[in-house]
Amino acid sequence: MFFLKEETKVITLHPSYFGPNVREYLINRLNEEEEGRCTGDHFVICVMDMVDIGEGRVLPSNGQAEYTIKYRAIIWKPFRGETVDAIVTSVKPTGIFTLAGPLSVFIARKNIPSDIKWEPNTVPPQYTNHADQVFEKGTSLRLKILGVKPDVAAINAIGTIKEDYLGAL
Amino acid sequence: MLLRLPASLHYPITVTSLLKQPGDEVERDQALFWYVYQTTVTEGDGLGNKVDVKRKFPTRFESTVDGTIVQWKISKGDVIDEPVEVVEIDEPCAHEVQYGGLCAECGKDMTEATYNTDITDSMRAPIQMTHDNTALTVSEKEATRVEEDAKRRLLAGRKLSLVVDLDQTIIHATVDPTVGEWMEDKDNPNHEALSDVRAFQLVDDGPGMRGCWYYVKLRPGLESFLQNISEMFELHIYTMGTRAYAQHIASIIDPDRKFFGDRILSRDESGSLTAKNLHRLFPVDTKMVVIIDDRGDVWRWSPNLIKVSPYDFFVGIGDINSSFLPKKQELGPPSEGKPSTPTVHHVNGSTGKANATEVSTLEQLVTMGGGDNPRLLQEQSDAQDETIMHQVEDRPLAQKQKELDAEDESAESSESSMDESQDSARHRHHLLVDNDQELVQLAGRLEKVHSQFFDEYDRKRARGLGGRVAALRGEKALSKERDVDLKLVPDVKDIMPQLKRRILGGLVIVFSGVLPLGTDTQNADISLWAKSFGVVIAQKINMKTTHLVAGRNRTAKVREATRYPRVKIVTTQWLLDCLTQWKRLDEEPYLLPVHPDDRGQPISPSSKEMAESSWLSSSDEDTGDSWTDNEDTSELNEDFLKSSGFTEISQIGYDQDQQAAIHEELKEFLGSDDESESDSEASWAERDEAPPTVSPKKRKREDGADDESDTSNSDTQTEPGDVPGSRLSQRIKRSYERSTGLKKVATATGTAPGTGANTATDVETPDISFPETDEEAAASRKPEASYPEDPVEDDDELEREMLAAFEEGEYDSHAEEEIGAENG
Repeated sequence: MFFLKEETKVITLHPSYFGPNVREYLINRLNEEEEGRCTGDHFVICVMDMVDIGEGRVLPSNGQAEYTIKYRAIIWKPFRGETVDAIVTSVKPTGIFTLAGPLSVFIARKNIPSDIKWEPNTVPPQYTNHADQVFEKGTSLRLKILGVKPDVAAINAIGTIKEDYLGAL
Repeated sequence: MLLRLPASLHYPITVTSLLKQPGDEVERDQALFWYVYQTTVTEGDGLGNKVDVKRKFPTRFESTVDGTIVQWKISKGDVIDEPVEVVEIDEPCAHEVQYGGLCAECGKDMTEATYNTDITDSMRAPIQMTHDNTALTVSEKEATRVEEDAKRRLLAGRKLSLVVDLDQTIIHATVDPTVGEWMEDKDNPNHEALSDVRAFQLVDDGPGMRGCWYYVKLRPGLESFLQNISEMFELHIYTMGTRAYAQHIASIIDPDRKFFGDRILSRDESGSLTAKNLHRLFPVDTKMVVIIDDRGDVWRWSPNLIKVSPYDFFVGIGDINSSFLPKKQELGPPSEGKPSTPTVHHVNGSTGKANATEVSTLEQLVTMGGGDNPRLLQEQSDAQDETIMHQVEDRPLAQKQKELDAEDESAESSESSMDESQDSARHRHHLLVDNDQELVQLAGRLEKVHSQFFDEYDRKRARGLGGRVAALRGEKALSKERDVDLKLVPDVKDIMPQLKRRILGGLVIVFSGVLPLGTDTQNADISLWAKSFGVVIAQKINMKTTHLVAGRNRTAKVREATRYPRVKIVTTQWLLDCLTQWKRLDEEPYLLPVHPDDRGQPISPSSKEMAESSWLSSSDEDTGDSWTDNEDTSELNEDFLKSSGFTEISQIGYDQDQQAAIHEELKEFLGSDDESESDSEASWAERDEAPPTVSPKKRKREDGADDESDTSNSDTQTEPGDVPGSRLSQRIKRSYERSTGLKKVATATGTAPGTGANTATDVETPDISFPETDEEAAASRKPEASYPEDPVEDDDELEREMLAAFEEGEYDSHAEEEIGAENG
């Protein structure tokens, strides 16, 4: 699910950047460091705007300036039960690896409808029911997230396509 | 699943009541039954005294899993003394496939641990079996299922699995920017060889992460090799390069992904940076897997391995991804000494590659263990960066070419190059030679393994099905067939060693000057490799020894070996070629030219008489009585000789009278030996079949030496007539020799100068670092110290040899160097 979330971040700046372009530089730094980051809990999709940059405070010990920036960002936190669209990255006899945006989701063989069979002899290998459903590398599909596990800087998720309206798009 | 009591309970325990009935649902941590246990506790008695009392405590046993109870294995009132199974619980999900700490089937977190957990759920699926993902793990059961499916599929398609290494096996890569420049430069002598070199850039790699270009040379014939092989094998890539590197290489060698598909395993997923493990890809069984790799040690010489000779196109670059691996035990590139690569070994010789000493087993073990040591790992990855940076900055190829050019100039000016043919002189101009033939041979070997495997399978299957059909006669036949098939699958681990043992089985080999002192000769790379072909590696030369593999000339063992007529003294190249070509090659082209002074008294029935002439020379004893006079008219009879299995034999250092005299003696001693003729004929016939591996020019040079060694070999045939009593007679003869030692010193010195002049040119190799004559002199003063391997009884004789060599002094050392460089 997507959220618009207000967050704060502390950026320290080397004195060589002090000047008329400080603001621009801070925005760049923020975008660079935050966008696309995975906290383990959610993904930061996009930094919308800065609510407050705050006064820079020079640190007594080394002369660097510390800015506390409040900003708003669009984040995505995957939940169990959420339905997402994803792209197949590889297919294996044990299941299908997919990528839903930044999140990698694995669909185990048990969570694939039983009429869709592993077909290793095709090039590239695929899961197929010999009708409309063919899953090979690059296929788009819709899946439901069954479980999410946060890690230090990544999120692992597993999904299913064994329900109505899920599967190849 | 069956729930088992943990060992940590206070046994014995008594079950007092069961809280759940079969069919009940239980959750984790829910109580299953009550029990009491007895223990001793210290209590106060109310008066300040402490007393130990035995007490009974009631406790609940809690379930460690969710599910439905199927059956109790215990009942109320049972006394349990040890961990036993108590209850069978049917789990809704056995968590057999897990992805990143989640059960991939039910989505539960597998890493949760409570006070009640004895084994975390994540341990239920410990096996990684996907090529490109380490987060996915499966249980043994699941792995077996997947593998069996794969095996059925492969059997149906009559295929095996083949694990392919990249670097130096099917490609050779370098980051030396010189290659790029040479490719641009049409005038460069190497331009032609580089025409099909492919390049790609890895951005997040290389020094300072600025991205460096990789130049990749495909082993000649790779495409057709893959094409042919993919019909018999399902191909997997297993490389020590990074994922990005492996992907790039794969898209070069297999742009359509029709050979390898996604079956690529790189060091990012390997799990170990120091060793390759087949179980990473085939966790359950490896019956149908064949490996091809240029390194045996990383696979711990797995029986599934076919070791190929390393592909060394960019001379001196080596394997760019091997920094993490234990150092390679250098034995010199196997291309050395082959006629078609004169430039290659020339360069190696001049840069002193031979000095790169081998690595001791201990050091290797330490390096192997590096996987656990983060500091070492860091060092190694630094070393990897450094290797790459060095190649980028030092440009070893450019330097080699420069050396080569300089050498060319000097070679052209000097007279010694006059005997080089024009053709090879022109060849010298380029460093890189594109003439590798390994893949063609490799395809043949793989084909052999494949056909052997399926022959065996068909045979077993025909037998198995026949019996079974007779027994069952019916409908169930089809459903069971699948399982029966899998049980009948023969094991590549049995088939390949069988094939290989047939090749060199029965040989007993002694190394001399091949491995550095202090190396464990049994466990060195080359020994392990040779052993997989059925070779027995011995430490000392004795009657059982069949070959002495000598890395350099004039070692004590070479001298000793000349005394055993059966022992063939061959160069290391012979062994390497046999091992890579899976053939017992004829030793003839590989025979080590033995310095005449090194020739010892042959230990054979005829040794006493031979002693008169001090060494056996160009007289061809092997001809037996019927051929004794042929050398006089050898040129006329050449054709005739060839047709009967003999070739021209040159005469060195003997005049006709001497030869005649020797033959008179020989006739006496060899005349009755029938075996000699048939044996020698067989070996000569073999030689005719074997492809000529030495250029005609070189061949000619060696012929003189070959014939010499040959004569000593020919005594092999006299020796098998070694009846039980002969050992005693030998000893008697030797004692006789010893008493007349002085006389023979004179003979030896008398003959040496004459023969030395003829043969010295063949003898020396430049990798012998010490000046020969000094060493001889020192040795003659203290023979037993310098040559500890020499049996004591040889002392007399050895001393005599030394003296001879010493007095002979400096034979033509200039010519010797010439030849040495030529031989690499």
